[in-house]
Amino acid sequence: MRLAYYPGCVAQESGKELDMATRWVCKALAIELVSFPSFSCCGSGFIDEANEVLNVALNARNLAIAEKAGLDMLTICSTCQGMLTLANIRLADPKVKGRVDAALKPLGIEYRGTTKVKHLLQVLTEDVGLEALKAKVVRPLAGLKVGAFYGCHLLRPADEMSWESGEEPHAFEELLQAVGATPVYYRGRVMCCGFPIQFVKPETAERIAGRQIDDAKAHGADAMATPCPLCHISLDTYQNQVSKAVGHRLDVPVFHLPQVVGLALGASPEELGLARHMVSTDAAVAKIGSRALA
Amino acid sequence: MAAAEEKLTKFTEESLVTVPFDVYRYDPAKGGEPRYQRYELRLAPHTPVLTGLLRIRDEIDPTLTLRYSCRSAICGSCAMLVNSKSRLACRTPVGPEVQAHGRIVIDPMRNQPILRDLVVDQQPFWTRYEQMEPHLILDPSKPMPADTPTRMSPAQVERFRDTPRCIACGACYSACPAVEADPGFPGPMALAKLYRFVVDPRDSATQGRLKKIQTSGLWLCLRCHLCTEACPKDVRPSERIRDLKELAVQAQGGTELGSRHAIGFLNNIEERGTLNELKLVRQTAGVGGVLGALPQGLRIWRKKPEITKAPPPIEGIDQVKKIYQALEDKKEGQE
Ligand code: SF4
Ligand code: SF4
Ligand code: FES
Repeated sequence: MRLAYYPGCVAQESGKELDMATRWVCKALAIELVSFPSFSCCGSGFIDEANEVLNVALNARNLAIAEKAGLDMLTICSTCQGMLTLANIRLADPKVKGRVDAALKPLGIEYRGTTKVKHLLQVLTEDVGLEALKAKVVRPLAGLKVGAFYGCHLLRPADEMSWESGEEPHAFEELLQAVGATPVYYRGRVMCCGFPIQFVKPETAERIAGRQIDDAKAHGADAMATPCPLCHISLDTYQNQVSKAVGHRLDVPVFHLPQVVGLALGASPEELGLARHMVSTDAAVAKIGSRALA
Repeated sequence: MAAAEEKLTKFTEESLVTVPFDVYRYDPAKGGEPRYQRYELRLAPHTPVLTGLLRIRDEIDPTLTLRYSCRSAICGSCAMLVNSKSRLACRTPVGPEVQAHGRIVIDPMRNQPILRDLVVDQQPFWTRYEQMEPHLILDPSKPMPADTPTRMSPAQVERFRDTPRCIACGACYSACPAVEADPGFPGPMALAKLYRFVVDPRDSATQGRLKKIQTSGLWLCLRCHLCTEACPKDVRPSERIRDLKELAVQAQGGTELGSRHAIGFLNNIEERGTLNELKLVRQTAGVGGVLGALPQGLRIWRKKPEITKAPPPIEGIDQVKKIYQALEDKKEGQE
């Protein structure tokens, strides 16, 4: 499998461990990642709030780069996945398409609308397949209870994202099961992490994040796992502040999706950049430690 | 005739499913703790949840208290939680719920005080709706002619999108995490209603409405789209809230933290095509904000030292800049 790799901004900067883990896992699964240094930011939902057509045009340029190379796109961020998918959908509106085309044409860019955008979670569950993944597991995450945390834009609006239920998805939990972990079902798994308003009203954003972490914990989760680096910022990077906002210490490690898969496929914590997390993952990794590789 | 009748009965018998309902029960007048009561019915899979609940009330337990009227998704009275999802009970069939969950757990809506069983106090929802001034505000110097209808072009009508379809059921309000976390947030329905008046060509208060909402909750929407998922009428409040934000930014610039952040982000990407995380904090929060965030920043920097370095520009940054030039309409207040 060959895919145009769209890492997004955060995985190239403060969330580099996500990029490391993605590359490791894709190599192990023989997924060839083709990099394009010309990809620009997806707009993260913020450009969309300020200028919808500009946001669509920037993403049409990204989609056109992959189209020209004849590749579908791989995202590793719920928000990138949402924004790129949304661009494909909004381009169906002739008024939007007209303005976007007019901006791209002088630059010699033409987007014909053929690029499919897939998140790593979809590629692993739909294209690689859970059985094939299971066959590669060398260190089952037995005994580790993990609360999946999806990130809004990977799921909703469900009629536009069109791959999973917007409120009752299962893909991530099935994947966790395939790598030997025990998925934890809790309401917060499809809720918001608070990130979009972290700058506007931190105390509210942190209360929202805290509610979801508390919920996962109350349902017995040893750790959480997310397919979105922005959720990871809210849940892990800011977890000390979140603890303050909810008035008690949370101390829940939060994995990136490919880190969970990487651990099961035999990667070392170093290869997955686990030391870069703000909340230590040591206790969670120790739980599966007895089955650690030589 | 008899044969046909037999066939019909047989078909019905075979297609019935056992539906275990676990219904939230609480009567503050009687005191005690809320509890779930189990009722089991045999129902056809397409039976609406509401029909099941009314059968429970009529045939098993007359004390069950719930709101409903039209039974056909018109009046907006019967919103409640069906297996944790905010739904109209009269529009949600039992079959898929039983198939997915093995039972149907019924709770009152979230984010509103519970009066009894499935009935909530909707006053907070209505108060926020009224705060939107949900009526036309006309320019007194241009009164509408009394006897002639005001004409609108198809394009003008199109701008309302699906907002006039709202039946004020409150399902979106119940589903909204911003309502849950912040009393200052008006909620999805109120904002969708505001949008409906902001785009009404007869309304004269558009700018005032936008200005007011910018400081009273607009920028607290998380764009989580849970409201759009819950809405039985496809009003899509989250998308109309996005529209309100863009209208506010375009007309009024970066006057609030929220709009400043959106514009700051937009300008940030124009420079390099990729996000300069540190600069974004400075753009939105200002120097004071950066100083306040310093201890946290240092903590993060120890684990993720690259946060202080600006990333290199992407290849083809000139293309990005030209796209900005073609589509950006810079306004006062923007950098
Ligand atoms: S998108 Fe906004 S209004 Fe809708 S549920 Fe989420 S926070 Fe509430
Ligand atoms: S927007 Fe939809 S969910 Fe919200 S009150 Fe109106 S009809 Fe109900
Ligand atoms: S009873 Fe009227 S909307 Fe359900």
